[in-house]
Amino acid sequence: MDTKNEEEETRKVEFEPVEIEYVSYGGEHHLPLIMSLVDQELSEPYSIFTYRYFVYLWPQLSFLAFHQGKCVGTVVCKMGQHRNTFRGYIAMLVVIKPYRSRGIATELVTRSIKVMMESGCEEVTLEAEVTNKGALALYGRLGFIRAKRLFHYYLNGVDAFRLKLLFPSPELFSSLPMITNNEDSHRHTDHMPPEECCELH
Amino acid sequence: MADNGAQEAAVDISVSARASIPFGDNSVWADVSPLLESACKDLRDGDLIHGDNFNLFAAMSALEIMDPKMDSGIVCKYYSVDEAIENGAAPVPISFDKTVDVQRTIDIMDHLLACEATWHKGHSLAQTVFSCIYLLRPDRTSSHALLHSYCRVIRATCKAVISVVSDARTHEEEDLFTMAYGLPLDGDGDEKCLSLLNAVEETTSRQLRACKAQSSRRRVLEDIEPLQTNLDLEEGYCKALLCRLRFRKHFYHVLTSMRRPQGRGLELARKHISSCILELECILKSSEFLRSSACGSCEDVLDDSTTGSGCQPVGFDASLNSRLSAPTPPRAIKILSWKKAIEYFVKLLHDLDILCSYSLDPLLEGVLQFLVQFQKSQPDLVARSHLQLLLLQDGKLYGRDSIFAVITRAAALPEVTKNHNIQKNEYIVQLGQLVINMLKILCTNAAWQRRKLGKMLQDWRVIYVQLELVFRKDFGEVSSIPDDENICVKIFQHILLWVEEQTYWIASRFLILGFELELYSPSEYCMVYWYIYVVLIKLAEKTHLKMATRNDTSKRKAKKKRDSLKDMGREYRIPPAVLFVQCQMFLVEGLTMLLAALANEHMIVQSPSPFNTEQERFIQHFELLQKACVPDHISYPSFKESTAYARFSTLVMYNYFKDAQRIAKEAKSSFANDPEKLAELRKIEQVAEHNSIALNVICRVGALDRTLKVSFEFGHHPYFATAVVKRS
Repeated sequence: MDTKNEEEETRKVEFEPVEIEYVSYGGEHHLPLIMSLVDQELSEPYSIFTYRYFVYLWPQLSFLAFHQGKCVGTVVCKMGQHRNTFRGYIAMLVVIKPYRSRGIATELVTRSIKVMMESGCEEVTLEAEVTNKGALALYGRLGFIRAKRLFHYYLNGVDAFRLKLLFPSPELFSSLPMITNNEDSHRHTDHMPPEECCELH
Repeated sequence: MADNGAQEAAVDISVSARASIPFGDNSVWADVSPLLESACKDLRDGDLIHGDNFNLFAAMSALEIMDPKMDSGIVCKYYSVDEAIENGAAPVPISFDKTVDVQRTIDIMDHLLACEATWHKGHSLAQTVFSCIYLLRPDRTSSHALLHSYCRVIRATCKAVISVVSDARTHEEEDLFTMAYGLPLDGDGDEKCLSLLNAVEETTSRQLRACKAQSSRRRVLEDIEPLQTNLDLEEGYCKALLCRLRFRKHFYHVLTSMRRPQGRGLELARKHISSCILELECILKSSEFLRSSACGSCEDVLDDSTTGSGCQPVGFDASLNSRLSAPTPPRAIKILSWKKAIEYFVKLLHDLDILCSYSLDPLLEGVLQFLVQFQKSQPDLVARSHLQLLLLQDGKLYGRDSIFAVITRAAALPEVTKNHNIQKNEYIVQLGQLVINMLKILCTNAAWQRRKLGKMLQDWRVIYVQLELVFRKDFGEVSSIPDDENICVKIFQHILLWVEEQTYWIASRFLILGFELELYSPSEYCMVYWYIYVVLIKLAEKTHLKMATRNDTSKRKAKKKRDSLKDMGREYRIPPAVLFVQCQMFLVEGLTMLLAALANEHMIVQSPSPFNTEQERFIQHFELLQKACVPDHISYPSFKESTAYARFSTLVMYNYFKDAQRIAKEAKSSFANDPEKLAELRKIEQVAEHNSIALNVICRVGALDRTLKVSFEFGHHPYFATAVVKRS
């Protein structure tokens, strides 16, 4: 992902967290919204096939965030068998600049991860640029570890981290705050990082 | 993208309806337009045909035709190299004004250097060096001796570098690097590049001499045509050219001498390296002259310019090759600035110089220490490839010592065993292969190295088990045979012990590389240091045992000659190599306990994560070690058990940092001749001292002052953290 994050932090939009509406991917009319958001925020060019690949196969894992009818963030994911594990993968996560640092990305990605967990995923992975401190902090708070460093991963020569979140094996489930206290755990909308997008390659 | 059904339909429509173009034995070209037309009728807006083989890779490889970000076939400026040349993009001569011609030749040389460095740093050859149109048509430059000789040596150098990197081939990093299809790397006569370069250098130095003589009003001894027409600039241009030509000559020599077998060319290579560095200094200095004399043609002289003069070079077009660099999208890449390129080459040459001055240590331990030390400066691909080719030639260390000999020495066996028949044992052969693989892996970049070392642990574990099985099968119970009587037993025993020691060494390197790669977050430091601690205990133990068996052997020999009573009375001393590990062991134990106490006494607040616990993070970080049982019986519960009761009240009573400090001090005296180990011990001592003080401060003040903030820094050591205590 690109690193043009810190330049224009100026034009913040005033809004209450409750004003943000989160919706699951609802069909072809959402596709242009996702595409324009990703195209404008991330550097790598994706063909329309890449988007369709994700949203048609795993519509339940893609979410959009709206503020007063305007799409301000999105998350696109997949899941499937990877070697011996059933694994979720977060492909793209974008929140437009004026809406960053308000917990929207955390909420979007939390929703996807929950669906993955309920669908039987054992773990979730993604890649993030080593320079993307915001995204690294976000995923760190969600319990992701930096499993590997990928040398010169992006075309611009920057390294990436492969981040991984391992879900507890079923017998340990009861000890988790997420499960025992499902109501409150995802309502935190405080201190969010300035940069909250990730992308695949 | 059509699924199989659709593909079958395609055959029906297109092949039967249209004449096909024969192509090879098993394939035909067919027109797919009718298929697409009929498919379009079946699809509604937004429909997607999905085949099982249409995976993420296929989706991402798909192109949108005529999208300039994706379609590399899209015409940029010229359709072909020939068209570019016809349009005057790369004229020969570059200018009919001889002064301008020289200026532009130098710009081309400088930009090529920048391209070369960019290539070394990981971009494709086609988009960097071979964006030079002059290089693409080797014969066109033949009338321009300067340009021609320079282009030739560039092609020959690229070829030599590709050969080094592809011969060392160990992983994916060099895939893009060595890709050269379609590029004219073999210009006719490029192998003679040095003689042409020497001739041009000779002419230029004569021109320099002639103009110097003229300026001092001495009589010109020989009748020689000046380089260009402006006599005020003659000396400057001659000098600027000479250092560039000489750099290329020496650099080519460096590459070829380093490739000589068994490190025989290293001394010669060092001489050329120092010449290269001197010429690079001259090249850098020439920039001032070039900028001032090129004034007017380029006002915005910026630091990111790719030439010494600051001018744009003539004859480059990266888009011409975009069709040759298939796996990368046709995006423009940023060429390093000329200054950065020179910095790159200086670093490369320094790295190569370290390689060339290496003593070719016959002991594996020394090789490993050298590798780790060399990697600290993060050498780039070219230097690392040379390193690997130096270490391993024809399956031997330095092309000289058989791997079995290396193993017997590492396992502290007497020199005679290196020719023992046991080396033909299947598992010993496999072990040799593991050693080779390990050395290769240690030459790769840190990210790749860590991954591969982690995976390799299991192989070491498996070979240990297999060797042990063979050993038991062939020799029964160890204790029943006095080991002096059976050399095979001794070899097996020593090798088994050494395999264990080596496995723990790899494990510690794996864990430590995680710090260099920034894979650990502060909340994970406690478990990471604890794991390093349990690995180091084992490493110290195995090293100690190995040393003890070595001493046994030598003592027994000595006994025959001397009075054995004297031996008995001598005080036993822990070998320095063991002390070296021990002080690190105490240091990480101290760090583990300090971090655990901070968490246990709630001085570090760790908010729970919503989806998993510390246990899952432990499992993920140490998965590869756990799979290989390195060490045995280690698990998350054992980590919790050893840290759950850490409290400052007990830590201050038993201060691990003080032990670390004491042992480091003691060990220093034994490593007086090993500056690297000495420096490491000094750092360990410093970290231990700082942490010892921090611990005391926390104990004294912490209970009273809850605002005390403790954080960790790596100012004194790259992976042993120093605690910083502050009042918030």
